[in-house]
Amino acid sequence: MTQSRLLALGLVAPALALVAALFLYPLGFSLVAAFTKDGALSLAHFGKAFELYSVDIVYTLFIVLLSGVLTALAAIAIAGTLTLGETPWAVAVLKALYRWPLFIPFIVAGQCMRTFLAKNGLMNNSFVAMGIIEPLQATSLLDWRGIVITFVWKQAPFVTLLLAGAMASLDRSTIEAGRNLGAGRLRVLFEIVLPQVMPTLLVALVLSFVTTMSVLSVPMMVAGSQPTMMTVDMAFRINAYGDYPVANALGVISYAITGLAAWFYLRQSIRREVAA
Amino acid sequence: MRSAFAALAITAALGAPASAQTLNVATAGDQNMVDYIKDYLGPMFEKSHPGVKVVAVGTGPGDSGSQKIFEKLSAQKAANTPAWDFDVVVIHQKMAGDMAKEALLMKYRGDIKTGSLVTRETAENSLGADVSGYVMPMFHSQTAIAYNADMVKDVPNTYPELAAWAKKNPKQFGYNGIKGGMSGVAFVAGWVYAFGQDGDKLMKGPYDAATKAGWDKALADLKDFNKNVVITPGNAGTLDMLNRGEIAMGPVWVDMFYTWQNDGKLPPNMKLKLVAPGMPGQPMYYAVPAKAAQAKLAEEFIALATSPDVQAQGIVKKFNWYPGIDAQHLEGKLDKADWQKLFTDITPADLASKGKPFPIAPYFNDILESYEKKVAN
Repeated sequence: MTQSRLLALGLVAPALALVAALFLYPLGFSLVAAFTKDGALSLAHFGKAFELYSVDIVYTLFIVLLSGVLTALAAIAIAGTLTLGETPWAVAVLKALYRWPLFIPFIVAGQCMRTFLAKNGLMNNSFVAMGIIEPLQATSLLDWRGIVITFVWKQAPFVTLLLAGAMASLDRSTIEAGRNLGAGRLRVLFEIVLPQVMPTLLVALVLSFVTTMSVLSVPMMVAGSQPTMMTVDMAFRINAYGDYPVANALGVISYAITGLAAWFYLRQSIRREVAA
Repeated sequence: MRSAFAALAITAALGAPASAQTLNVATAGDQNMVDYIKDYLGPMFEKSHPGVKVVAVGTGPGDSGSQKIFEKLSAQKAANTPAWDFDVVVIHQKMAGDMAKEALLMKYRGDIKTGSLVTRETAENSLGADVSGYVMPMFHSQTAIAYNADMVKDVPNTYPELAAWAKKNPKQFGYNGIKGGMSGVAFVAGWVYAFGQDGDKLMKGPYDAATKAGWDKALADLKDFNKNVVITPGNAGTLDMLNRGEIAMGPVWVDMFYTWQNDGKLPPNMKLKLVAPGMPGQPMYYAVPAKAAQAKLAEEFIALATSPDVQAQGIVKKFNWYPGIDAQHLEGKLDKADWQKLFTDITPADLASKGKPFPIAPYFNDILESYEKKVAN
């Protein structure tokens, strides 16, 4: 008994050591740097972070939450079609297509959006060519809208992947019962399917939230820097001033925000385990 | 037998046989800097010095690239290494001052015959630090306002005129703030020179922490100005938007501007204007580490690199930079067309009166942080 327990400990030790060395140590280090000034405990770095970047913190939350909501809507639409669609070829095409953005790195997505969403970019030029808008009506989407569009485009497939999987493993008889009793597909989706996969959707959204919080390339490439997301401010703090403490304070603020999301995630998964 | 193979393998791995000499050149800056050494200057030097091999190493763009060179040299100094790894370093202004102060560089300018070809202030003074003798400017680069001549008829000559123009033509002026590259930083520094008090002091010092209080009005006006302009994503972002006709005017690096125009990425009707009282530019410096293994060769390399021929053909013609040495030494070395291209819109007289340095390092940081506090947030 004790021997097998030792063996088990031995087996997880390398993984634990890796977590400790590559995550816990830097985390502790950045916490210490954020909360101390000249060797004494201090909130000065947080004061500076709020003084300089309060708008950016709110802006980051706004972008990330809005992206989350739109990602959820897109994912529900795609996963719902995959589950309840009745045109086999359309479902097959959608199934083949929707995952593609998953394989595109954020920086490449940012690069593409930069020319796609510009005022005289590919999107507007196509609209003008199709006669949908007049050239003078074209506006640039390279601001917060561009960041949100890029995030939704990148994250919707990820959330859809988890959501469609959960929907596929549902007991189909509940769906068929609803259909037999005359419920439309939309009603079946919102009243029968979605409530059953809600925990999965929330978990997927939390993971997506944490990912978008940490992206540096997209806000840097797609939009100008006023206001901008916290990741850009952290990079600027270090590159322009070599100021690690304030960058760390900003980091701690984003840990706190993602920590809230993680707490939500853990609560969900514990609840699910209890239910199972 | 086996040891013979091992010896062969080691020789192969270490590259050059012992008899040949290797000149290690470390350069900060973008890829075009590495290309310049590797493809242009290196082969030329190898040709005139048979048996010498030039190895170019890039350490990355911006001040952080120079920072890496600094860290390497100062580590070798601390370890008392008799011969340091780099023979020639190419560095930015901010770091050049620190390196000279910490005795990491050799005083070589007086030893080479091209040393007397540069009389510009930047060869003596680097953002407030005395670097006299330690550096030779490789090139000078300058920021200026690029504009679309078809869309802009009343071209502003000064910062106040520019501010008025931007107000009259909302969303037609664009720049990249201070977090998206140096052309935006240069525009903001120029703004503070123009509207803050005592711009000269910011470039020459001495530093006084109270000075920044005098910028409040200038920065409040800049915040107001920003309402009517587009904030672009980066140095290249400004050029992109100029190219697509989305903005009519914006600050750019002159060398990038010409290179993009040569590549057909900017329409030919784009022009440059250096507005008064002036906008900053900066040189890159050639320097020799204090204990370079090949100090003699390094000096010869820099003498070649700063010779009028190379400055004309390489720096001006191929890469669209302004020369590092004084411009009059290049006369007759270039086709008139190549020379005039560089000075079509900005005359040498403009450059002399309105080409400013960046502020000295502590003011530089104050400007950036005051901008973050009072304009961006």
